[in-house]
Amino acid sequence: MTTFLQQLVNALALGGVYALVALGLTLVYGVMRVPNFAHGGLYMLGAYFAYASLTSLHVGYFPALIISALVVALLAALLERIIFYPLRNAPHVQPMIAAIGVLFFIEAAVQKIWGPDFKQIAEPMPGILNLGSVTITWQRVLVIAASLVAMLGLNFFLKRTLTGSTIEAMSQNREGARLVGINTNRVGMLTFAISGALAAVAACLIAPINSVTPSMGEVMNLKVFAIIILGGMGSVPGAIVGGFLLAFAEVFGGYYISLDFADVIGFAMLVLVLAIRPQGLFKRGT
Amino acid sequence: MMPGAAKKLAWGWPILFVLAALVPLLHPSSYMLDIGVNVMIWAIVAYGLNVILGYTGLLSLAHAGFFGIGAYTVGILTLKAGWNFWLAWPAGVLLCALLGYLLGLVAFRTKGDAFSIFTLGVGVIIQLVINKWDKLTGGNDGLNGINPPPGLEALSKMVGLKLTGGFYYLALLALILTVVVVARARFSTFGRSLIAIRGGEDLARSAGIDVYAHKLRAMLLSTAIAGFAGGLYAAYVGFMGSAITGPVTTFTVLLYLLVGGLGTLVGPLLGTGVMYTLSQVLKGLQDYQYLVFGPLLVLLVMFAPQGLVGLWERLKQRGGKKDA
Amino acid sequence: MKRFLKLSALLSLMVSPALADKVVSIGYSGPLSGGAASYGKNVQNGLDMAINDINKAGGIKVGGEKVTFKLVPLDDRYLPNETATNVKRLTGQGVKFIVVSHAGGILTVQPMTTRDPNFLLMAYSSDPQILNNNNPLTFMLPPRFDNYGPPFVSVQMKAFGKKLGMVGTSTAYGKQWAEMITNEWKKQGGSVGSNNAVDYGTTVDFSSAVTKALAEKPDVMFVGGPSQPTALVIKAAREQGFKGGFIVMDQAKFEEMETAIPKAYLNGSVGVLPTRDAPGTQLFVTRYQGLYRKLPTSEAGLPYAGVNMLAKAMELAGNVEDPEKVRAQLVAAAKALPQSKTVLKINGVTAQGHMDTEALAATYKDGKVNKLRYIPTLK
Repeated sequence: MTTFLQQLVNALALGGVYALVALGLTLVYGVMRVPNFAHGGLYMLGAYFAYASLTSLHVGYFPALIISALVVALLAALLERIIFYPLRNAPHVQPMIAAIGVLFFIEAAVQKIWGPDFKQIAEPMPGILNLGSVTITWQRVLVIAASLVAMLGLNFFLKRTLTGSTIEAMSQNREGARLVGINTNRVGMLTFAISGALAAVAACLIAPINSVTPSMGEVMNLKVFAIIILGGMGSVPGAIVGGFLLAFAEVFGGYYISLDFADVIGFAMLVLVLAIRPQGLFKRGT
Repeated sequence: MMPGAAKKLAWGWPILFVLAALVPLLHPSSYMLDIGVNVMIWAIVAYGLNVILGYTGLLSLAHAGFFGIGAYTVGILTLKAGWNFWLAWPAGVLLCALLGYLLGLVAFRTKGDAFSIFTLGVGVIIQLVINKWDKLTGGNDGLNGINPPPGLEALSKMVGLKLTGGFYYLALLALILTVVVVARARFSTFGRSLIAIRGGEDLARSAGIDVYAHKLRAMLLSTAIAGFAGGLYAAYVGFMGSAITGPVTTFTVLLYLLVGGLGTLVGPLLGTGVMYTLSQVLKGLQDYQYLVFGPLLVLLVMFAPQGLVGLWERLKQRGGKKDA
Repeated sequence: MKRFLKLSALLSLMVSPALADKVVSIGYSGPLSGGAASYGKNVQNGLDMAINDINKAGGIKVGGEKVTFKLVPLDDRYLPNETATNVKRLTGQGVKFIVVSHAGGILTVQPMTTRDPNFLLMAYSSDPQILNNNNPLTFMLPPRFDNYGPPFVSVQMKAFGKKLGMVGTSTAYGKQWAEMITNEWKKQGGSVGSNNAVDYGTTVDFSSAVTKALAEKPDVMFVGGPSQPTALVIKAAREQGFKGGFIVMDQAKFEEMETAIPKAYLNGSVGVLPTRDAPGTQLFVTRYQGLYRKLPTSEAGLPYAGVNMLAKAMELAGNVEDPEKVRAQLVAAAKALPQSKTVLKINGVTAQGHMDTEALAATYKDGKVNKLRYIPTLK
C-alpha cells in the first residue's frame, strides 16, 4: 500500500513536469498550427538562462526565473517574426523542418557557450515533505502546484481578458479573426512569446529535480507532442490531462508490468486513442 | 512534375547511371566509395518516402521504422536463422510491405496532422520494440557481424575491386531498380490517381478513384522500398542498432527529400546526394557543424520551399523569359 | 637564375629539418554532440592534452626525424554506424591510429582494423568483449569492468546485508554490468531483486523506478550510468528513506557525483577510485584543472596515458606508419615511461593489447574515499 501511494505521488510529480512543458506547446500548435519542434530547445534555453543568471548575475532563484522567462519570450517572439510568420501559409512540413533547424542551432550554440557538461540549479526549497510513510520533495510539490496555476492562469487569460480572447478567436478561425479586425500579426507574436515564457518557467522549475544539459529538451520533445495530441491539439485542459495521463501510464505501467514497457506505453496509448478518436480526448479550443 | 519534363529527363537517367558505374574504376578512396554507397541507400529510402508523401500527400513518420524492420529482418535471418542473404533480403521487403499494408488499414482512419502524429507514434513504438526485444534484436547491443552477401566479395575481386566496390555496384543496381519501379508507378494510372488524391481526397473520390485502396497500395510500396534499402544497409554496415530506426532518421530522410524536391523523380537522389555529402563536409567543422547546419535548414525552407528541383525550374523559367 | 637556385637550395638545406617535420594524425571518433557529448569531450580533452604536451616538448624523434601529432576528432553521436563511416574516412586519409570511445562503435569497427588499409584501434571502453575478440590491432585502455565485481559485492554484502536491488542504466554496457553484478552477488550467497533498469539518458524522473526497487526492501542497490543521472538516482533513493549502500558502476565517478548532491547521500557507496585520489596523479590533476577548469576523471586520464604510450612506442619502433610494429613496442613503452606521462601506474600491456593497470576502487564517506585492497586484475 505504501508503495502504491508513493507511486501515486511520483506520478503526480511527473505529470506536473509533463503538463508544464506541454502547456506552452499546445498554445502554439493550437493557435498557429506550427508543430514547433524548437519548443524543446526553448525549454532547454530557459534552464541555461536561469543558470547563467544564478551564477553570473548572482540573483536569487525567482528573479532568475523571471529573467529567463522574459529573455526566452523575447527570443520566441523573434523566432515567430523571422521564421514562422513568413512560413505561415506553407504546408506544415516546412515550418516543422525550420523548427528542427532552430533546435539544432540552439543545442549546438548552448554546447559551444556553456560546454557539454551537466549543470546544476539548486532547489529553492530544499527538503522533503513526509506524508506518513510517503515522501515527496518540496520542489516536486512546487512543480505540481505551478502546473495547475499555469493552467488556471492561462485559461483565465484566454477566456476572460481581451488580449486572450483574440488568441482564442484566432485559434478557432484565423481568417474570421482577421475579418473582425484582430491584428493576427500581433497575436502570433504574443502567442509565441507566452509559449516561450512558459517553456522557460517549466525548465526553471524542473531543472533542480533533473539536471541542465544541452540535450534536455530533446528528451522532452516527442513526449510532449504525444501529450498535446492525446489531449487534443490546442486544448489547455487537454494538455494538463494528457500530461498527467501519460505520467500515470508510465509510472503504473512501469510498476505493474515492466519498466522496459514504460517508454512504450505513452506512445501505445497515443496510437490507440487516435485510432479510436482521431481528434484527441478533448476538442480543440475548449 | 509535368510529363514533358519527365520525358526530357528520360535520357538523363541512363547517362547518370553509366557515369555512376564508372566511378569505382577511377580508384577513389574507400571513404569516397562509402559516401557513394550511403548516398544511394539513403536515396532509396527517400524514394520510398516520396511515394507516400510526394505523390500521395501523406506525411508518414514511421518510415525509418520500416527501414529498420527490413534491416533487422536481414540481420536476424542471416545471423540467427542461417538464411542466405539473397533470400533474407526479399523476405525483409515482403515483411515490410505486409506490415505497411496493415499499418495503413488502421492509420488511414486519421487524416492530416493526426495521421502524421499517429505514424510518429508507430515509428517510436517500432524503435522501442526493437530496442527492448533483447532476445530477438540484441537490444541495445544491436546485431554485430552481419555478413556481406555471399559471393559479393569474390565477384568484386574478379573485377579487381574491394568489397566496398562490390557494394557500390550492388547499391547502384538497387537504386536503378527503385527508380524504374517508382517511375513506372508514377506515370501509370495508379500514379496519376495518387496525384489526384494529393490534390484533394473528395475530388479524387468524385472522379471515381477508390481513395482508400490507392492509399493502401501507396503505403505498401513506400514501406517495401524502405525495407529494401534497410536490408542492403544491414549487410553493408555489418551492424544494426536501434538508434537508426527512430524518428530522427525519418526526419533526416524527410530533409533529403525536401531539399531535393518533393514529388519529383530526381529530387530524392539529388537531395540525398547534396545533404549527405554536406553533412560529411560539415563534420570537419567540429563544434560548428550544427551551428551551420541548423540555419541552413531554415534558409532552405524559407527560400527554396520547392527544393533544389523547384529552384532549378524557377531559374529556368526566368532564363526562358529572358530569351523570349 | 642560377644564383637564385643555389640560394634556394642553400636555404632549403638550412630549413629542411623544420620542413621535414612529420605530422602524424591521430583519429578520434566519439559522441561530440547530443546526450553523451560531455563524455566524448572528456576523452577528447585527455587526447588533446597529451598531444599538446608532446608537441610543446618538441615532438618525438623517429629515425632522426622530428615527429609531432595532430588530433582529428569526428563526431559519431554514439552511433556505431557513424563510427564505421568516420573510421573509413580517417583510414581513407591515411590515418593509422584511431581512438574510439564506446563499446558499440569499437566492436563494429574492430573487424576493419586488419583490412586494407589497416590501423591501430585505441579502445576506450571497459567491455571485456573487446579483448575476447583477440583482435591483433586493438589497444584497450581501461581495466575491464569484471574486475570490480567480487570486491564490490563482498564489501557491500558484509557492510549492509544480503539483498540487492537493481536500478542500473539500460544501455548495452549497463546491462552487462548488471548481469555481472547479479551473478557475483548470487555466487557470494545473496539474493537479487527484480531488474529495474531504466535509460539514464532519457528518464525525466527516477523516483518511480527507485520506489519499485525499494518495495523489495533491498540492503544494497546497484546503480550507475553517467555520473549526473546516477547522482539523481541516489538522491531519489535517499529521499525515499533508503539507508543501505550502493554499488556504483564504473561509468559514474564519485568526484563528479559529489558536486551534484549532498555528500552524505553517497556515504556507504562503493565505486571506482577518483583519479585525484590515486597515488601519483596530483600533477596531472592540477594541470588538467588549469586547462579545462574541472576535475579530470579517468575519462581524460586514460586517453592521456594512451597517447603518450603510443608516441613512445613509435619512438621505440622507429616507425610512425605501421600499426603492427608500433603495437609490438607498447610493452616496452609502458616500461620506459615515467608515471607523470601515464597518470596511473602502468605495469605493461598484455598480449591481447590491454593496458595493464591496477583496477582501483574505493568506498565513500563524507567526501573522503577509502581505497579498497585486493582487487583482482583480470587480463
